Amino acid sequence: MEAIDSAIDPLRDFAKSSVRLVQRCHKPDRKEFTKVAVRTAIGFVVMGFVGFFVKLVFIPINNIIVGSS
Amino acid sequence: MGGGFRVLHLVRPFLAFLPEVQSADRKIPFREKVIYTVISLFIFLVCSQLPLYGIHSTTGADPFYWMRVILASNRGTVMELGITPIVTSGLVMQLLAGSKIIEVDNNVREDRALLNGAQKLLGILIAIGEAVAYVLSGMYGPVGQLGVGNAILIILQLFFAGIIVICLDELLQKGYGLGSGISLFIATNICESIIWKAFSPTTINTGRGAEFEGAVIALFHMLITKSNKVAALRQAFYRQNLPNVTNLLATVLIFLIVIYFQGFRVVLPVRSKSARGQQGSYPIKLFYTSNMPIILQSALVSNLYFISQLLYRKFSGNFFVNLLGQWKESEYSGQSIPVSGLAYLITAPASFADMAAHPFHALFYIVFMLTACALFSKTWIEVSGSSARDVAKQLKEQQMVMPGHRESNLQKELNRYIPTAAAFGGVCIGALTVLADFMGAIGSGTGILLAVTIIYQYFETFEKEKASELGFFGF
Repeated sequence: MEAIDSAIDPLRDFAKSSVRLVQRCHKPDRKEFTKVAVRTAIGFVVMGFVGFFVKLVFIPINNIIVGSS
Repeated sequence: MGGGFRVLHLVRPFLAFLPEVQSADRKIPFREKVIYTVISLFIFLVCSQLPLYGIHSTTGADPFYWMRVILASNRGTVMELGITPIVTSGLVMQLLAGSKIIEVDNNVREDRALLNGAQKLLGILIAIGEAVAYVLSGMYGPVGQLGVGNAILIILQLFFAGIIVICLDELLQKGYGLGSGISLFIATNICESIIWKAFSPTTINTGRGAEFEGAVIALFHMLITKSNKVAALRQAFYRQNLPNVTNLLATVLIFLIVIYFQGFRVVLPVRSKSARGQQGSYPIKLFYTSNMPIILQSALVSNLYFISQLLYRKFSGNFFVNLLGQWKESEYSGQSIPVSGLAYLITAPASFADMAAHPFHALFYIVFMLTACALFSKTWIEVSGSSARDVAKQLKEQQMVMPGHRESNLQKELNRYIPTAAAFGGVCIGALTVLADFMGAIGSGTGILLAVTIIYQYFETFEKEKASELGFFGF
């Protein structure tokens, strides 16, 4: 039983610390969240499509390169 | 100390031979930084699509399949090694310096130069080593068929690609670009993968006739061509073995959740002792170690997979090898997938249904993910110099104090938040990854977490650069 306690106690302490941390946290409001989400989404899409189009362009190029060898 | 032997000095003779990017000798305007960053990215992307010359085939099972996401590498291309050399050498040097195996005094200019040189040298050696290992292991067909000439050619191509990545990253780090090349390449690779799975025009036959690979393309194609609209919708949303619309929606959901949690932080007030009470704040984020836990966890799992597959291929009858993992080739992708053993237990269940069917596997996986991420996160703050003690030291050096606390209590106050933020943040990262995998998000939970946290960091860097740019004009 002591063995179980010695395993559970650290977990309980960790859980308490975590809860306290989350309560103390500043959390983003709707406006802040929307702003960050939109900007990150734009970054995501821009990066994604840059890669996408490079890949699209290279498919026929690679077919030519590989086909000739 | 001055006369003592030091490991870093071993690197000095090599410094002259290492390719190096000159430090920026002037303030680079923001627009130029963007241009350098875009050019670097483009070079990387092109290399990711160029096929290797001289390879015989790449049709065999890919032992690095599981690692491609976090290493920005592409099978059979010049960028086969991806950022492996530079990431590995970076991690190794970080661990050596952080654990004091190598003595480094960051206040000494020479030490920093030697450390950078050592890291670069190690990266180059790793690139060579990996290239040779790839060729000899038969990744591109048996060496006998390749011939010595082609084998050497392949090694040289991979080696030079490694050099290119190292130089591109250094270019961005030295102030010519925004952020780090490594993060940029990883994030772009992941974003491209997700966009590709959504909009890919290529067709694949998985037993239902030829279908578009892209989820969105397939959705519209089915709606247009099938007379039964309801069946078409169901097909588009739930088809197996190819990206579907549900996967896409799950990806978006995970994206939004990560964004939200990124905003969680404890803001500690700090005040400058010197600049007449100038007020500021020091934020401690919930995701204190950002995406590092997931990178380390993925690296651990990937290496275990690699070792397990290697052993299974050669000693499949051995009890311990089978205990580590047994592998079978997937019908559709041609990839080996773990079907039992430890490797199987730490693999994400394919779906919620799969989770219900194998509850022990699901439970083991979840516990492993959360625990591994928490432990890696906790360990990382010590190794990377961002523990409470390190932060307290930095703030002291900057003449910062916390109002209401004596200077000696600064570390104690930080200790209330930083270790918990690191560990709990790691758990949250692990949980989000698990959730993403269960929901079938495109690109895997690991990938989405990495991409979003990296883009978020870029967003922050962007803001800082713009702020300093305006300040520059205002000056």
